[in-house]
Amino acid sequence: MDLQQKLSHLFNLNYDIVAEYLVKRLREYIAESGKKGGIVGVSGGIDSAVVATLLSRATHNYFFLLLPSSSTPARDVQDALELTEMLGGRDKREVVEIDGIVREVGSRVKSEDPLVLGNAKARIRMTLLYAFAQKLDYLVIGTGDKSEILLGYFTKYGDGGVDVLPIGDLYKTQVRLLGRHLGVPEKIVTKPSSPALWEGQTAEGELGLSYEVADAILYSRFEEMKGPEEVAKELGVDISLVRRVDELVMRSQHKRLPPEIFRLSGRAINSDWRYPRAWA
Amino acid sequence: MGVKVEIVQIKSRLGKIRDNYELHASELRSSTADCVVFPELSLTGYVLRDLVYELVAEAQRYSEKLSEEGRCAIFGTLAEVRPGIIWNAAGVVVDGKLTYVPKFFLPTYGLFEERRYFQPGDPKRDLVTFRIRDVNFGVVICEDAWHPEPIEALARMGADLVFVPSASPVRRLSQPLDIQVSWQSLLRAHSLMNGVWTVFSNMVGAQEEEFFWGGSFFMSPRGKVTAEAPIMEESRLLGDITLDEVRLSRRFSSFRDHIREFHEVLRNL
Repeated sequence: MDLQQKLSHLFNLNYDIVAEYLVKRLREYIAESGKKGGIVGVSGGIDSAVVATLLSRATHNYFFLLLPSSSTPARDVQDALELTEMLGGRDKREVVEIDGIVREVGSRVKSEDPLVLGNAKARIRMTLLYAFAQKLDYLVIGTGDKSEILLGYFTKYGDGGVDVLPIGDLYKTQVRLLGRHLGVPEKIVTKPSSPALWEGQTAEGELGLSYEVADAILYSRFEEMKGPEEVAKELGVDISLVRRVDELVMRSQHKRLPPEIFRLSGRAINSDWRYPRAWA
Repeated sequence: MGVKVEIVQIKSRLGKIRDNYELHASELRSSTADCVVFPELSLTGYVLRDLVYELVAEAQRYSEKLSEEGRCAIFGTLAEVRPGIIWNAAGVVVDGKLTYVPKFFLPTYGLFEERRYFQPGDPKRDLVTFRIRDVNFGVVICEDAWHPEPIEALARMGADLVFVPSASPVRRLSQPLDIQVSWQSLLRAHSLMNGVWTVFSNMVGAQEEEFFWGGSFFMSPRGKVTAEAPIMEESRLLGDITLDEVRLSRRFSSFRDHIREFHEVLRNL
């Protein structure tokens, strides 16, 4: 399969069934958690648009939080407002500008490094989402997709700090198609992905490859379990791209796992103490 | 001639044995069937991980309690048969007597980790058949149906009907589900080859990351799905098991030809 065939294979999902399944699971997950509903941060991008839509179908008890900063394009704020309005969430949303808090953090850390401040932004958003969630007795619904999670393209304890990841097993390119299926406005579906942690940042620019190529490589390497050379040959991409994807995935493994606990006892958490999440 | 069977395709609550027991008991009391069958580990839930160690005693207590309902029932439970030796078992209740039937093939690959917790059954000791009215039946659990021997052995021991309580999760979402096609193909082959009814009773709903897809069905000895439950939702499904179907299928098949030498070859591989 060349790149296009691989993508066609990936895209060939029954989006009716996928949407129905995700809505149902979200509804059940919230019910079984004992919480009253769910909150999601809506950025104006595709992932949060899809999750907001799914959440609004899963429960009446949803809340949308818009958390723009000075590096958030005005168009994103506008799109997020339109989307949440379209979903009927005009009375179930709030806009909280985070620049003041970011400045405060920046001044304490004495840094203007965009990476330091950018990650701080993501963690400030997480803090606000959890504070609202606690006030409402809701869960924080995450918006990470499989591409971002595998590539490690998220902030640890920032946008990675959530209660559940409903679209975490769909690649970015699949999320776009699901979004289109769910009626997310086309301008959001086709918008280039960006965490907007600093001005001009785009995901594909930063990663150095398009999500189409990244997703085809990720799928071939980690689901089909093919070797790097075989993947490069099959997809007709340079081997350096495959190696770059491999490196991103391997280097970010620490972000996908709970922190390591140095073992001392006869039974250590996670090592030989393995209980289901739904325990109580 | 034959029996009426009801499949109860439920979403078991993980680790909530008392709640699951109540559900089992009320389904048993309201069923009009001669025998009621539930999914694999229906009394405990499937994705138990280390809860297995803590729940096994309670699972056995509630299994005994279910047997007191006095109804023919097949449900999924845990059984500690010797200290520290735990079975992923089917609780089979016939005439008020409870028998534990162990799973033989314990999947330990991909998302499954059963060998971490369970000990497999021994075919020489644990392959057993039961009787309700004029129908002989056996039970194998889920992965056992992915191998030819357990169902073949039960059929040759006299079973007309084999129950397959299962906890089969969805992998890739497609329509129809790939795994659904696989299960129907497998049991169709078992039924055709052995001239037996097979009854697939699957778990439904989410447990941790996994989602069990339901889609339980009755497969006739001539390879027809005679009744089928919906996927993705709880359901009850009645089906008639007739011995005439078994009889007819065996008139026009070579089920009666059993060449033992094949098994001798297999034994030495």
